[in-house]
Amino acid sequence: MIDRPTICGFCSCGCALYVEPKYGGIGALCPSTTHPVSTGRLCIKGWNAIPSLIRADRLRTPLVRKSGSLEPTSWEEAFSTTAEALRRAISESGPKAVGVIGSAKITNEECYSLVKFARGVLGTPNIDGPCRFYDASMVRGLLETTGIPASQIDLNSLQQAGSMLIVGANVMEQLAHVGSRIQDAVESGCKVVAADPRVSRLAPQATLFLHPHPGTDIVWIRALLRTILDRKLYAEGAPEMPGFEELRTSLEDVVMDLLPKTAGVEPSAVIEAASLLAKNPPVIVMFGLGVLQQAGSTKIVRALADVAILLGGSVMPLRGQNNAQGASDMGLAHDYLPGYGSIFDAAARQKWESVWRCEIGADPGLNAVEMIKGCANGEIKALMVFGENVALSAPSTEYTIAALEKVGFLAVSDLYLTETARLANVVFPACSFLEKDGTFTNIERRVQRVRKVLDPLGNSKSDLEIIAGLSTLDLTGSSAKRKVELSNDPDQVMAEVAANVPHYEKVSYQALDQAWGDPWSTNGAKPRLAPVSDRAAHEDTEYPMRLIASRINFHMQTGTMAARSPTLAREYPEAVVELNEADAERLKLRPGTVVKVSSRFGNLTRPVALSDAVPEGCVHVPHFFGGDSANMLAPFDCDAESGVPVYKGLHCVIQKASD
Amino acid sequence: MKVGDKLILKKTSVPMFFASLASEMRIVAPKKRFAGDVVFDVVESPKEIAWDYGHDVYPPGKRFLFPHYEDMFSYRTDGGIKIESLAEAPKQAIVGIRSCDVSAVRFQEKFFGEPIEDPLYAARSKNAVLFSLVCNKPPRKECFCICCDAGPYLDKGFDVQLTDLGDRFLYEIGSEKGLSASSEGGYMLEPARPEDIAERKQIELQADSLFQTASFIAKAITYITSDDVPDQVWEELGSTCFRCAACTNLCPVCTCYTVEDRPEGNGCFTRFRSWDSCQYAGFTREASGHNPRPTFGSRVKRRFYHKASYQYITRDGTHGCVGCGRCVSACLTKLDLPSVVKRIRRAMHEYIKSPHEPAVRKL
Ligand code: SF4
Ligand code: SF4
Repeated sequence: MIDRPTICGFCSCGCALYVEPKYGGIGALCPSTTHPVSTGRLCIKGWNAIPSLIRADRLRTPLVRKSGSLEPTSWEEAFSTTAEALRRAISESGPKAVGVIGSAKITNEECYSLVKFARGVLGTPNIDGPCRFYDASMVRGLLETTGIPASQIDLNSLQQAGSMLIVGANVMEQLAHVGSRIQDAVESGCKVVAADPRVSRLAPQATLFLHPHPGTDIVWIRALLRTILDRKLYAEGAPEMPGFEELRTSLEDVVMDLLPKTAGVEPSAVIEAASLLAKNPPVIVMFGLGVLQQAGSTKIVRALADVAILLGGSVMPLRGQNNAQGASDMGLAHDYLPGYGSIFDAAARQKWESVWRCEIGADPGLNAVEMIKGCANGEIKALMVFGENVALSAPSTEYTIAALEKVGFLAVSDLYLTETARLANVVFPACSFLEKDGTFTNIERRVQRVRKVLDPLGNSKSDLEIIAGLSTLDLTGSSAKRKVELSNDPDQVMAEVAANVPHYEKVSYQALDQAWGDPWSTNGAKPRLAPVSDRAAHEDTEYPMRLIASRINFHMQTGTMAARSPTLAREYPEAVVELNEADAERLKLRPGTVVKVSSRFGNLTRPVALSDAVPEGCVHVPHFFGGDSANMLAPFDCDAESGVPVYKGLHCVIQKASD
Repeated sequence: MKVGDKLILKKTSVPMFFASLASEMRIVAPKKRFAGDVVFDVVESPKEIAWDYGHDVYPPGKRFLFPHYEDMFSYRTDGGIKIESLAEAPKQAIVGIRSCDVSAVRFQEKFFGEPIEDPLYAARSKNAVLFSLVCNKPPRKECFCICCDAGPYLDKGFDVQLTDLGDRFLYEIGSEKGLSASSEGGYMLEPARPEDIAERKQIELQADSLFQTASFIAKAITYITSDDVPDQVWEELGSTCFRCAACTNLCPVCTCYTVEDRPEGNGCFTRFRSWDSCQYAGFTREASGHNPRPTFGSRVKRRFYHKASYQYITRDGTHGCVGCGRCVSACLTKLDLPSVVKRIRRAMHEYIKSPHEPAVRKL
């Protein structure tokens, strides 16, 4: 029987679908027609990935490491082992020796409880989300510009766009419902200016496609801003916007004539882009991981928001994970609290101290990347990871795995024995979104009801139950009676969120049982223009090629799910690196030759394929399953402002593996 | 009562009628779900039947006769191979199914019936009676069954056909199966009067005139069959595809499936099948790695060859589309049948420069 709808958890579009439980698994699956996003349609992941949540190798029982190997055990033992390890770490080295990393795949209720658990129960400032590996720069960059750390518009307004600027996003392959609406808009006359080092599937939609050199977005976007200012292409009222003069001054050093050399873009193309956008309002500016994982990503986000603000348009950051937005809203970050109050803001801290009845210091602690480093250097003694395969999503895979092996105690909650879970001391079998209630917040800020369709497999539990269960134990060794209460009832948790996070004040399970959820309100945001300075160019002659990393449409995150869907895995049978024919000739590489791509931080080995879509001087590395990804090559160097590692535009070198 | 009878079922008797049928078989019918969504499902009481449902996305004929996921058999490998069938073929009445979907079921029955019978499908379809519901007006703007000779009402092919005449249904018996399913509640049926038949005629005429989507498939059939559509056109079409396969999943005619084994532990496995699609690259990739349909365009071409080339029409008895409009509403881009047919016809005008020049082939 098909009963109530739930929300697809495979990307941030957040389609509503119906799933029929049968055979202890699923018997049927179809999209909702009335839902504002799915509108009767799903993408390849929605159609195929659901069964991958409940494959035979799902973890069904907790595991505890005993004399070297992970052994099945009871929840009691898994919990008591964890409690003991946490007590030891905290009594020996203080709560700051504990780190907690959450996920953007789990529900809002779980994210919120995890933050409360880390800050309130454990008393550690080291709490962060996977946004640190993906898109955290967008939160900071947008808070300082549009004032809204999210998309300003909903998906259905894309169809009304007069023009779009789409930078560094493989959107047609990753966010089908965004891509579909881009096609609709283009059909009704919308002009698309796209920018990507590589020719993507956006090409048929683009009026103008710029192919800047990898890692040079800030250069040509500054030129774009300067053009808009010099030619007075901005919307009426823009000069009165706060920050206008500072922006103008910050762009004084732009030299248009240098663009071909510094960014590989012709000045005339930038001028054309500016005029296409200015002449075709309303403008929507979108950007994806190509921007967000580049060096200086926060700065590029600010620059792109400036473009939107100057032209009187809106911004839609293309965050990929199903609950990326909700995880941010819930304060799953080391530097701010639920609802985006900064950790340095005494009023924000006081508010949450009184809600949670605990103490919160003005200490941003460690972010997720720093926690991994902390595992390596001994600063972190115990790490808890909920739902994120950090071994693969963190940079420099080899270093990360060594760090996770080294940390004194590692607890991991996940559906499968991921590369991270394999290194753990305790593994909690979490259940999937099919098996629990909660909410996800999609790319449009729409807060949506996730409904339990199946009973949890085996002895698995929701992360909410796991967190609440752990919180009842003595985890800190302090004799003082703990005051922080954690509920395992998602409805109750959401009521607490709604009462305290203004963005969610209208959200309730009761309302979500009557109608599809709405995007949270952006009323009261005050946009301002931010100055955008240049970045120091950085060349590396020893590693002359530039890396382009991408994901294809049936891939999500580290591949834990996609690899378990035969139909999805079948679409991508082999990992390759793609090269331009000219480079292949110069390097004497033939299709199929196995090559080693090396950066200063790691290397990977794959056969070569030729592609016209890849510009000369670049290597395209699509993500593959099981950690075979460009992350292996990434350094622990991060965007200084947001802490996001630089995965895009890395310097690398390529040679025959046999040499 | 006999096959061919035209009867009247009063709406006040409808719950009783289907309740009495329910003693013999389960009733599957359109049900309202969240926020106005509709899906066909087993109903506990005839009161749940959403007679005013319009149309649904998830084709009921496929859902209940050729399920999305279907356990076929189990086998064990410990101590010699043992195979046990898991085929399920419940007796069921699919009530309220639209004419297009009935036409699609007939297509699938033929496809799965010959030359080699698919026993799972055969058992299910043997036990299913279709009570179809005439569309007094096309329920959706996407409907174009009228171009496919598959609706909005049927002259043949139905088991029982219902037409809403306000306070009563015209009840037509179209097959032996329909006849026997009518016997339990037969006492509630009365002969139709000439006025009822006249009223029905009026509805037909009106319904025929209300279609908003049209598709001149005949011309596309000619171009496709003679392989005149330039590959460039297919590639241009394919360049917008999202590879979601909704077009084939939700097509009530499409029949492709893949099989997989689910380990159940202790050397036991379940072989199950689930819908597959020609729109996936992996669908035709050979073990060598070679793919005869390597591009999006070549896969879109494949789909339309199967829908509209004469080679298949001769085999299947009809082209592979019933005009239900589901590919129109399910496709993330515009690769639905009416749009592609339109694009092909336009392309042929673009490519045929003068009437004397042949169409450009294989650009
Ligand atoms: S577009 Fe996103 S939410 Fe919709 S079906 Fe695909 S993965 Fe799921
Ligand atoms: S429904 Fe449309 S987008 Fe999806 S595979 Fe079919 S043709 Fe492509």
